Amino acid sequence: MPPRLPLGAHRALSSSPSVVRVHLQLQRRSASTSPASPEIYDVVCVGGGPAGLSLLTGLRASAITSGLKVALIEGQDLQKNKLHKDASLESFSNRCSSLTPASVKNLQEIGAWSHVNAARVQSYQEMQVWDGVSDARISFDWDSARPLLSARKPTQPTTIAYMIENVNTTTTLLSRLSALGGVDVFSPTKVESIELGNDTEKLDLSSWPILTLSNGKKLAARLLVGADGANSPVRTFAGIPSRGFDYNRHGVVASLKLEGPGWGGPDHKIAYQRFLPSGPLAMLPMPGHMATLVWSTTPERAATLKSLSSKDFIAMVNAGFRLSATDLEYLHTMTSGQEKEVAWREKHTPVNERSIPMKVVDVQEGSVASFPLKMRHADIYTGERVALVGDAAHTIHPLAGQGLNQGQGDAAALVRTISHAVQTGQDIGSVLALESYNSERYAENNAMLGVCDKLHRLYSVESGPIVGLRSLGLRAVNAMGPLKGFFMDRAAGRA
Amino acid sequence: MPTARLANSVLGSFRASSFRPALWRQRCLYHSYEYSQPAPFPPAESAILSSAIAHVPNYGFTLDALKLGARDAGYLDVSTNLLPRGVFDLVNYHLVMQRLALKDSVQFPAEGGQGNGKKLGIGAKVRTLTLSRLRANEPIIHRWQEALAIMAQPSYISPSLAELAKLADEIWFLAGDTSVDTSWYTKRASLSTIYSATEVFMTQDKSKNFAETEQFLDARLEEVTKVGGFLQAFGEWADFTGHSAVNVLRSKGLRI
Repeated sequence: MPPRLPLGAHRALSSSPSVVRVHLQLQRRSASTSPASPEIYDVVCVGGGPAGLSLLTGLRASAITSGLKVALIEGQDLQKNKLHKDASLESFSNRCSSLTPASVKNLQEIGAWSHVNAARVQSYQEMQVWDGVSDARISFDWDSARPLLSARKPTQPTTIAYMIENVNTTTTLLSRLSALGGVDVFSPTKVESIELGNDTEKLDLSSWPILTLSNGKKLAARLLVGADGANSPVRTFAGIPSRGFDYNRHGVVASLKLEGPGWGGPDHKIAYQRFLPSGPLAMLPMPGHMATLVWSTTPERAATLKSLSSKDFIAMVNAGFRLSATDLEYLHTMTSGQEKEVAWREKHTPVNERSIPMKVVDVQEGSVASFPLKMRHADIYTGERVALVGDAAHTIHPLAGQGLNQGQGDAAALVRTISHAVQTGQDIGSVLALESYNSERYAENNAMLGVCDKLHRLYSVESGPIVGLRSLGLRAVNAMGPLKGFFMDRAAGRA
Repeated sequence: MPTARLANSVLGSFRASSFRPALWRQRCLYHSYEYSQPAPFPPAESAILSSAIAHVPNYGFTLDALKLGARDAGYLDVSTNLLPRGVFDLVNYHLVMQRLALKDSVQFPAEGGQGNGKKLGIGAKVRTLTLSRLRANEPIIHRWQEALAIMAQPSYISPSLAELAKLADEIWFLAGDTSVDTSWYTKRASLSTIYSATEVFMTQDKSKNFAETEQFLDARLEEVTKVGGFLQAFGEWADFTGHSAVNVLRSKGLRI
């Protein structure tokens, strides 16, 4: 096969950037001569969410992998959905995530964090978690988590995590990506189909995924990355099963305004989470007086909450942190008039106001929404010329706010795997080269999925000895600084 | 059938009953609509026992009731000897006949017919059938504790349990359950437990029209649904956990 030889040789040697360039030029020429043949890319990423963008930014930012020809395909218009620089600080998107220090460090390493709209990011230094049935409480802050008898080090970080709108994360990554350049962005463009290529005279693409786009273009991917969410078409193409279950719970989100900046003032923000039998209720601080709510509850209750007037909704959120589970159960059976009912009940329920979030005074119009909670885990993250990152690989219960961070961890790990493959002259799409990505991330993600799943199950119990045991456990962990520090390290992605 | 010819004489019945296990047992191990089930008892036994049952409300599950039944049917007192298990045969007769009567006493509207309102679920059918079977104990409920005591005698425990299992099977079958997995066993086991518990409860029930028995039954059935839901969720979870354990080992390079 003399005509195939040079290309074959290129493929085998594609690790060295100079060869890649020659190879790409060859491809461009051939693409212009015969329009039917697909354009060849080294990495094609489907999905422009935080995980996909972080992966591409990581590839472009590294000197080793910047020679790769990469493409991004996103069904929605990335430019249109960008966060405006001068967006009002009085209004926040209801889709927020907490970024762990490890994820932020990764964003700093790929040079994206300097592009962030910092005014819209809120770090928090303390986290209060308590049991909605027994009121056992644990307080997470780095000061109380230090080892016994050792003084607090000035270098020790105080931030537990950063609250950031998802749109801010993607805008940050897009800014960095456009500064780096070199990515062929197809947006808004949908993937019409993915199938394996043909073995022709010139090229053997029989193991290569060929993507047909809605604009008629065809792309061949040496490595196809699925960052396309929980119902990933890339995962379906690769035939990787994804297992798990639905929790029969919905997460109700809303952007709220509180009566003040929080009990710790603007420099010591506190996140709150109360584990109710129907699911955890979390209030996470945003800049100024703003906060974001995530209330995991049954689908029926979620529907009730969404149907309430804003005054009643505010009353329900305040009640959610203050009243007993029994009171709440009754309040959910009312179709309206919760405001009065809660005001009356609050008078008869003594609470330490300083240990719960400040009262909600306003809910942003149209920000109350809900989504079903489920847990999914793909059997494997890699296949022949396929890798999955983010939600395409795993979907997690949001109670620990780890979903976005897992995606960032995946992206960083895949960048490391690809650079290693490039450095050692491997085909970046081969199963062998991708193996280390799966082995690095699978067990870690599985453990995190498992912990969140167990916590959800543990706290769905309303009565009986389990309540006593879990309360005892929570208090014990709260009293043991080093153990608490260990859990905080794990949650911060620092382990 | 040779036994039918002999059946008119006591002697004939006696002989028939002596090899009853071979002849009168259900002759195939599967159920078929094509095949009519033989009568559960030989005619003479059947005549004595059915007359005896009529005396149970007054005389209880006793030999007296059996003797009176034999007299009513035109047999001598001594002919009760052809019932080797004595009063237990009377109890057993009641159990078997009521079980077999179930398919005629409860009629569900035909599937798919333009019926009144919605279709009954299998759960609702099981409840109706169980309740109907319990109601069949109504005429003799004040004597039922005696029957329970007889059934609890060591040599009769096993046939009593077998009859209970047959009843549970009958109810699930009539309700239209077609499961062919392990739930076949769990369904029958749980219904047997519920039925026997409710039956004991009913003997103590003094409420009007056995309303409390009905409540008791509903509460037990609801518990089973909950446990069933829990078991299913647990199965789902165990399946996931098993797969993820294998996947983690695979991700670490183990060839499994």
